[in-house]
Amino acid sequence: MPRQKRILITGATSGIGLALVVRHAPDAAVLATGRRSAEEARRVLPDGVAYVQADQRHPERAVAAILSALDDLGWDRLDLAVLNAGTGHAVDPAGETPQMLRDVLDANLFCAVTLAQALRPRLEAGQGRLVLIGSTARKGAAGFASYAAAKAGLHGFARALAEEWRGRIAVQVVHPGPTDTGMHARAGHDPGRLVRLFARTGTMARLIDAAIARGRTVETISFARFLGRGEGGR
Amino acid sequence: MKTALVTGGGAGLGRAIVERLLAEGWRVVSVDRAEGTTVPGLEHLACDLADRHAVDALAERLGGMGPFGLAVFNAGVSATGRFEAIPIEAYRRLMTVNAETPMLLSAGLVRTGQMAGPMCFVSSLSHFTGYPGAAVYAASKDALAVYAKSVRKPFARRGVSVTLACPGPLRTDHARRHAPAGADADRRMPPEVAARIILDATLAGRRLVVPGRANRSVALAGRLLPGTMMRQMRRLIFDRLQGEVW
Ligand SMILES: NC(=O)c1ccc[n+]([C@@H]2O[C@H](COP(=O)([O-])OP(=O)(O)OC[C@H]3O[C@@H](n4cnc5c(N)ncnc54)[C@H](OP(=O)(O)O)[C@@H]3O)[C@@H](O)[C@H]2O)c1
Repeated sequence: MPRQKRILITGATSGIGLALVVRHAPDAAVLATGRRSAEEARRVLPDGVAYVQADQRHPERAVAAILSALDDLGWDRLDLAVLNAGTGHAVDPAGETPQMLRDVLDANLFCAVTLAQALRPRLEAGQGRLVLIGSTARKGAAGFASYAAAKAGLHGFARALAEEWRGRIAVQVVHPGPTDTGMHARAGHDPGRLVRLFARTGTMARLIDAAIARGRTVETISFARFLGRGEGGR
Repeated sequence: MKTALVTGGGAGLGRAIVERLLAEGWRVVSVDRAEGTTVPGLEHLACDLADRHAVDALAERLGGMGPFGLAVFNAGVSATGRFEAIPIEAYRRLMTVNAETPMLLSAGLVRTGQMAGPMCFVSSLSHFTGYPGAAVYAASKDALAVYAKSVRKPFARRGVSVTLACPGPLRTDHARRHAPAGADADRRMPPEVAARIILDATLAGRRLVVPGRANRSVALAGRLLPGTMMRQMRRLIFDRLQGEVW
């Protein structure tokens, strides 16, 4: 029997991350992370999925918690790490306070950089794959300036790292378009009727898995693809 | 007399920008880690732009020094070498200086009505080419570039134009320290030339400035063929690195 795959998914308690967990939990060993407590996470995660609370607004602490969870599981190799945790605020950029800016950059970007470095030995041992979840907002967004900036940072980081690690660890960045996950509401943004055009969470997770299987360094799973089909990705 | 704010004004491109502004009759507030020489019209503020507490104090202080007729967010540091061989603390400082601090200072100045003129964010040509061998530097400069693009319209509504500057290699100490073996310093642009081009574009309210025709060709090639450019950058830079510098 082939050995079971070991997969780390961050931001796995809701939305796209949770949908990825649901897809992989039946045949892989999964470690999920999120901001919420373990007790709250249990209520949404499928049985058998390991969980560690790791608030990425504090990257150094979050990464230490994830590493110690990996140690507890005895995982000295990883097949796949999907760094999906993300958060933003819908706000006039002049109204973004220093705290908001720091939280967005830390949770979306610096924590991913820190994790990439900390996970490298395990990914290398598992001949694994590192996948960063970006966003189509990475080209710029007036109402989400720091979020767009952080996602652009992930893009540039992944592209450079993919080149540096070529032949050792595969690195990819996948940019989802708008997805019906509740992230917009949490960010304080009402997409109105446009939400009908958003991809469903499960559809997006399936397309992300397909992108991972194709293995290209940069993939965009865009709004326009759904518009073209006139089915809102549903 | 109008007042300009320049971060990282003590060396390299920042110093060239400060000198040009002084020559054109501006009063200049220059923020840098070290105290500099005192010249008429020039005020130094010492601040470690990688230190969040110091940056908060600086933001407070700037609030009482405006309004600024111009702000150039130029301060930046680099870290070159294999990604995994550089300590995370160095990356933390880099990300703060290059991305977080300029975003936070610019938002604060606009929010408090202290900006009465154009603003420029100095990113890098790496925004168009990618930069294996400096993955976190590339990330920080991409983040800053896209922040500049994102705030252009909302800041314009408050009367502040935003220019994104993406200079290529400059003939500065910074570039020398991080250049790969065999790099030709003569092909780098003198900082005085880049300063003039960047300031002209900023004062004219242009969206983007890439100083130098050769650099503009490189930027175009990177846009059209990103994968090819990235592999080329690997050969030119990453494969020739002789260790880590941060
Ligand atoms: N939805 C979209 O339209 C869309 C479009 C493009 C890209 N994306 C990206 O896709 C990814 C998933 O988004 P989603 O729509 O699925 O979002 P979501 O439903 O809001 O879920 C976000 C996940 O990230 C976690 N998270 C948020 N802040 C965190 C923090 N500070 N520390 C640790 N974990 C944190 C959340 O944990 P808790 O639940 O425990 O708080 C949750 O598991 C994000 O990177 C997002 O930027 C989404």
